[in-house]
Amino acid sequence: MLLDVRDIHKAYKDVEVLKGVSLTLERSETKVIMGPSGTGKSTLLRCINRLTAPSSGEVYLDGTLIEERNINEMRQKIAFVFQDFNLFLHLNALDNVAMGPMRLKGLKRAQARERAMQELRRVGMQDHVESYPAQLSGGQQQRVSIARALAMKPEVILFDEPTSALDPELTGEVVSVMQNLASEGVTMLVVSHEIGFARRAADAIVFMEGGYVVEEGPPADIVSAPREVRTREFLQLIAAEGQVS
Amino acid sequence: MIFEIIINHIPYLLGGLWVAIQLLACVLVIGFVFGLLLALAEVYGHWSLRWSGIAFERVFRGIPELVLILMCFYGVGNWFPIDPFPAAVLALGLRSTAYQSQIFRGVIQAVPTGQVAAARAIGMSGVQAVCHVVLPQALRQVPGPWSNEFSSELKATSLAYVIGVVELTRQGKYIISSTQGNILIVFAVVALLYFVVNWLGNRVIYRAERALEIPGLERGEGD
Repeated sequence: MLLDVRDIHKAYKDVEVLKGVSLTLERSETKVIMGPSGTGKSTLLRCINRLTAPSSGEVYLDGTLIEERNINEMRQKIAFVFQDFNLFLHLNALDNVAMGPMRLKGLKRAQARERAMQELRRVGMQDHVESYPAQLSGGQQQRVSIARALAMKPEVILFDEPTSALDPELTGEVVSVMQNLASEGVTMLVVSHEIGFARRAADAIVFMEGGYVVEEGPPADIVSAPREVRTREFLQLIAAEGQVS
Repeated sequence: MIFEIIINHIPYLLGGLWVAIQLLACVLVIGFVFGLLLALAEVYGHWSLRWSGIAFERVFRGIPELVLILMCFYGVGNWFPIDPFPAAVLALGLRSTAYQSQIFRGVIQAVPTGQVAAARAIGMSGVQAVCHVVLPQALRQVPGPWSNEFSSELKATSLAYVIGVVELTRQGKYIISSTQGNILIVFAVVALLYFVVNWLGNRVIYRAERALEIPGLERGEGD
């Protein structure tokens, strides 16, 4: 397996947010993590690339333990897409994407921009390369940030609620980019409530609640016949919201 | 005739102005370099560094410029001989370092934390994140508050008068003594020269501020 998350615990002072979470991801696999808010989904993602240090537990990427010692090297292989994009505000779209390859992969500026251009094309942002983040819509910013992740040629991309800061009419463009990536075989671990995306693109849905993984299985099984009561209730809630909007 | 006196002494006044500008340049450069280092120490440093930085800044913001100048010239002069000009550079440089460190600390802390998280997430070290992401954004915000510092240091150069630096104010005084010239008019000309330099300097800083703006994030637009 490519990513092996073993028994992650995370406590803030005396509140335990993650109570022993394990999951694995094969190469080219897409898994979607769902669950009520405050369940530790985002914390889990941040513990994987150590933006937040876990209290205990280990994460292995391709057999290598991720630790403080090798963290900068490992993060180049584990891209992270933020809920609120976090594009570099002082750089245009092209240079946002070229930054990593240029500063970390040792590419010359021209080569880095060429790679950036390819990745921007992949997310359909080739017509906005000169635009600065503040000049782009949320959906466009998120697509640029996905291109920034891709430009590092990572082994896996972690998505932390990539559409939840977007207006409903903008989520579609981001979801369709992610679906394309899934079908191209990019390995993705996605925290999201986009049930449509999970159905079409995910190999498995992981349902979390209260700091635990409650159940995991193929989208069809989880969505149509969840074993756990909590999963069923949560999915009904999501579906109800979907009908309202 | 007073105007004749002034016209005849213009080279002296301009000479004095040039000394004032040199003093100002030295002070601002020292303040910029050490102020930035101090701010980095205060924001990212070990607690001992942070604590020393804050102590330095409190002390030198809390002492009148004139007292500092007298201490640096007569006080330091007791230990080893120091000329008036370097003494003035030292005194005003310390003060400017303290003030500029506050400007830099403010703009560094104003960079959203998500920017650093994004830099770290692609694999940058802390130092790389500061160099490639934090400082390029923070330094763009400097010109606004820095124009205050420019103006106040320019005016503070006139205090070097008291330790015998022959800058603009002292040249004015010389003209008055040697010609029994009209005190008010001579100092009005001196004042006009300070005013013009101040005005020109602020124009340049304003231009820089505009040039450094990030497209889409212009002042007064967005949220």
